[in-house]
Formats: sequence, C-alpha cells, structure tokens
Amino acid sequence: MLKRLILTATAAILCCSMTAQEKIKQVVTSDYNRNSVSMVAIQRGDSYDSATTSAVASFSPGEKFDINRINTKTLRISKLRSEAVYQSEVDGVVGGVGFAKEILASIFNRDSKGMMNDKTVRYRGNYDAKDQDVINARAARVGEDALGDLGQKLVAASYVVVNDFYKIERETDKRGKVYWSTNARAYAYKLDLDESSLYDFYEKCWIYDEDDEATRAAKISAFNNLAIGLVPVASASTSATSSTVEDAAAECLSGLITGLENQISDWEVAVTVSARRPLRAKIGTKEGLKNGDRYRAYSYREDNNGNLVSVPRGFLRATEVSSNTGMSIGETEPSEFYQISGLANIDEGWTIKQSNDLGLGVMAGIKTGSMGKLALAVDIDFLMDVKTGGSMSYALFSGSLDLKQAKYVPLFFGIGYGYGLHLSRFFEVMPYAMIGMDHIGYSSTDNSKDRFVRESALVLEPGVRAAVNVAYPLQVFVKAFVDWNPEFIQGSLYKLYNETVGHKSGFGLQAGLKWTF
Amino acid sequence: MIALTLLMTFSAVSASAQSKDRRKSFKSWDNYEITTEKVGVDGTKFVKVWGFGKTVDAATMAAKENAVHACIFRGIPGNSTAMSTPPICPNPDTLASHEDYFNTFFAPGGPYLAYVSMTTDGVPSGTDRRKVKGGYKVGIYVQVMYDNLKRKLEADGIARKLSSGF
Repeated sequence: MLKRLILTATAAILCCSMTAQEKIKQVVTSDYNRNSVSMVAIQRGDSYDSATTSAVASFSPGEKFDINRINTKTLRISKLRSEAVYQSEVDGVVGGVGFAKEILASIFNRDSKGMMNDKTVRYRGNYDAKDQDVINARAARVGEDALGDLGQKLVAASYVVVNDFYKIERETDKRGKVYWSTNARAYAYKLDLDESSLYDFYEKCWIYDEDDEATRAAKISAFNNLAIGLVPVASASTSATSSTVEDAAAECLSGLITGLENQISDWEVAVTVSARRPLRAKIGTKEGLKNGDRYRAYSYREDNNGNLVSVPRGFLRATEVSSNTGMSIGETEPSEFYQISGLANIDEGWTIKQSNDLGLGVMAGIKTGSMGKLALAVDIDFLMDVKTGGSMSYALFSGSLDLKQAKYVPLFFGIGYGYGLHLSRFFEVMPYAMIGMDHIGYSSTDNSKDRFVRESALVLEPGVRAAVNVAYPLQVFVKAFVDWNPEFIQGSLYKLYNETVGHKSGFGLQAGLKWTF
Repeated sequence: MIALTLLMTFSAVSASAQSKDRRKSFKSWDNYEITTEKVGVDGTKFVKVWGFGKTVDAATMAAKENAVHACIFRGIPGNSTAMSTPPICPNPDTLASHEDYFNTFFAPGGPYLAYVSMTTDGVPSGTDRRKVKGGYKVGIYVQVMYDNLKRKLEADGIARKLSSGF
C-alpha cells in the first residue's frame, strides 16, 4: 500500500513539475523587436507565373517589418497548379538556395568586392529602439551612439516567406463578367543564426581595409561557403477572388501574413501599458497598429516556487493610433485603447500582446414580431471603428426565416449601420437602422425575370440592440425593433402571398448569442 | 497511514516555512537582486535593482533603498561590459556601529533619495512588475550618484577616506 502511495505521489510531483515547466515556457513578455522579411514566389512553369510573381514582388507586408532585398525572388517547383506544394517540397528547394548568404549580404550591404558595412544594422537598431533603450543609453557612458548596436540582435530575426498559389480558376457570372479565384499558402523560414554564429560570421567573412589580398580571398571564400541554414517556423493558407489573377494573388498575401503572424509569436507586437484612463501604450503606425486591432492584456505573478507566470487579464482594442514612424527620442507618443473584456481593469505596467481577430460578430437567435411569429435569425456585424470612449461603429447584415410559415419560404435580408455605446466594457447598447427585403418565395413555377422583385417588399427597421459579455468572446444579446413594411413598397405577388403569411409593420424582438471572431 | 500523516505534516511545515521566508523578503536587506546594466556616466552607477513592497510604489521605494544600500554595504557585481564595484563601507560592522545614522539616512524621504534617481520609463512594467504573496516585487533601472554618495559618507565620518590610511 505504502509503495503504491509513494509511486502515486512521485508521479503526481513529476506531473506537477512538468506542468510548471510548461507554464514557464509559456510566459508572455513585452519583449518585441522588429523582424525583417523577404517575400519569395513559387513558380510552377505555367502561364500564371508572371501574375503571381508580380503580385508577390509588389506586395508590402506592412510597416512593422523591415525588408531584406535579396536576389532570389522566385523558386521553381515543377508541379501542376491544381495541387498545393507540400512543406517537404518547399524545404527541399529552399535548402538548395543560399538564402542566408543573400540575407546577410543584404543586411550588411555587401558589394561585389565582398566589402560590407553595418549602416543598415545600425539604422534598424536605432529605429527599433524603445523609450527605455534611449533612457538607458543616456544613463550609460556609451551614450545614444550605442543604440545602433541593438540592430545586432535583429539580424537573427530575418525571415523568408515563400508563397505558393494553386487551384487558380476562371469563373464567369451570369452577366458574363470574368473572375479569378486562387488558393494560396505561405511557408515562413527563419534564419538559423545564434549569437556565436554571428560572431563567427564577422570573424571569418568581414573584410577590413587593411586586409591583404590573400586574407580578402579567404574571407570571400568563407562567405561563399557559409553554412547557415533556414528553419521552417510556420505556414498559413487562404484564398481570394478578384477580377484578375494578380489582384486575387495580391488579396491573398495580406491574409497569409496575418495567418503567419498568428503562429509566429515573435511577430506579434507586445508592449506595456504606459497609462490608464485612457489606456495608452507606446506603439503606433511603426508597429502596423490600426484602429480596432485587438490586443490581450497580461499581468505577472510569481508562483510558490518563484516561477514567473503571465496571467491573461482581458482584451482591448486600439482606438487612436499615434504616428510614431521615426527614431525614438524617449518621448514616444502613445496610442489609445479601449478595454472590451476582463473582470479587472487593465492597469499601468501590464503587458499587452497582439491577438488578431476578424472583428466579425456572428449572432444566432430567435426572432418574433409582426414580420413573423417565430423566425430563426442569423446576424453578422463587422466592426468598422472604435473610439477611446468605447463607442463602436458596425456594418450590420441580417437574415431570418419565418418558421411558422416555412412552406412559403419567407426570408428577410437586411443591411444596416449600428453605433454601439458601452456603458461599461461588459454592456453595449447599440441603436441601429437597417434597410431590408422581405421575400416570400412561393411561386415555384413562375420563371419571369421580375419574379424576385414581385415576391419581395422593402422593409425599414430602426431598433436597439443590447449585448452583455458572458465569457468573451461570447455575448448574450437582445434586439428590440420596429419593422416598417408599408403596402406601397410591396411587390404584387408579395401582397398576394402575404395575405396568407401575414407579415406587417410592427414591433419585434430578437434574442440569442453572439460570438466574435 | 503513518507515512501519509508524516508526509502531510512535513508538507504543511515546509509550506509554512516557505511562507515565513517569503514574508522575510519584504523587510530583509539580505534578499534583493542587483545587476549592473551598463557603465554609468562619470561618477554614477547604472544598475537594475529589485524591491519588495505591499504596493508597486512601496516596492519601487524599497528598490531605490536597495540600490543605495548595495553601493554602501554590498558592492555591485560586474557584467560583460562593466567591472564590479566594491562597497563604500566594506567593514561589515559599519551598519551596526552607525545604526542611528543609517536609520535617519534610510528613513522614508531620507537623505538617501538625493543619491538615486530612477531611469525606468514610467512605472515598473512587464515582467519587472510581479505580484507575489503579500505584495509586489518590482525591478527598476536606477542611476546611483556613487561618487557623491561616497563623498557624503566620508564627510560624515562613516566611510574612510582613501587618504586616511597614509
């Protein structure tokens, strides 16, 4: 019995210890530094190569990234475009290209004679420097000149993003207009360079003015034989449709970067809160911050063993974005945020980290009123703007099916605008206005062109929606509204069928759940 | 059963001892961390120092005290870019023999504040601001006016002047 007890206790201790170690690994910190990328397109050897390559070449991944301009802009994989390329296939091709050499040559401005300089590194170091770095530099004897040295650690934060487009298809709508759709997949690789290999690179490859010819030749040879590789770190997929292949490919690229951002923690901007009321943090356009961007707040505690643990404390959205695209002088203008969830008020000194979302709320619920006694409703709202005071603008889309008269297929579709006011972060009241169409699609044998119009009626719907956070991103909502459906904006068939269906102007209610994606 | 009881008793005693140890760290001058950040401008030491307190403000004040305390009694460790700094008063009995002087010196709002200035941008933040049992542990960057502090202690007869041995 005692033996079993000891065994169980040992297992429990080991398990706890492993869990604790896992937690230590997962500590979220505010250490964020700029990353640099090179965009590369995969060519399949078909007619779409030029369009996809052009889309990748002209794409800018955003202000938050520095660009390493390398010579290799395309990779060739001979495979039918009807299939995606696999990670192993990309790994094989990437391994055969000296990307590391090209990246280092770009960062250190290597010329045809093998001479290099640290101008870019120092510029990037200065550009990446935070206010604390500037203050630290001023307190140190080395002074602000040392800020350029911060660029040394950015060298390893170099990535190559390899983009593949597949299943490119031509589609034509009823009017004969042509559209192109494409699927896209990106593979991100990171330069496999630690501090010691960087110093090794300086030692073996850096040519000085005083070096003799033999030394120069040896260093050029060492550079040409550099054995620094790339490590695959993430992949992401998306798809898009547009009027040309190039536009469709270009639309995919920003989605791919967001997808990679969600997987590469070092790409997610993190910073500490510099003030509350309103919440402020020293990031802005330099970090690619946009109105409505979502961040997650963390505080820190030490557990009983003295291990550091980051505690998630709620979400917030960017409101006023500061323009900070310049070198820090220790007084960076902060951006403002509004807290949207979390029991505790986000406090000065806490860390906030980028937590991308679509800003898309999907609501499902039950609707009742004069436009149907019982309807199944699905609403979508898209967040357009957030103000520091907590007011939010939404584009609204609504659809419902009257279940009581289901055999007549009475459907309602609407679009509108809502202005949400937050009385607290947990509770939102949103007056809105919507214009919609109530359709009764009963006449299955009628194939006339204007059938849809004759079976429909215009509906105007002003209303108010109230939503309460249950457990973010889950909310409960209730909508009260008035549907105005006068006879003079009703189609002839709609009027006829509506004598049975019975939709009319009047008051309505809707309730359900909302999930924000 | 006896083994289980013993195990539980041992765990409880151990937890209680840990808790006492933790409480100690709030008042003890033997339990703070200090590291040299960089070589400071002339006459100063630029360090990162930690402090405990019931609030962030109290922990920040404690950290400032600790920075000055380290310069006087402990010395500051070196790093890859800076040499270590010996204490101004290397004699371990100095604190006890001048207890009244140092009680006044380190009193809240006391003279020690003239020799330390915080260079942290805003409040202690991120991983430098940790909730621990009973309060906060914060890490701050400070500049200690080391030469001025040394001169003050020499003038007050607490530290020996270099010339006094000759």
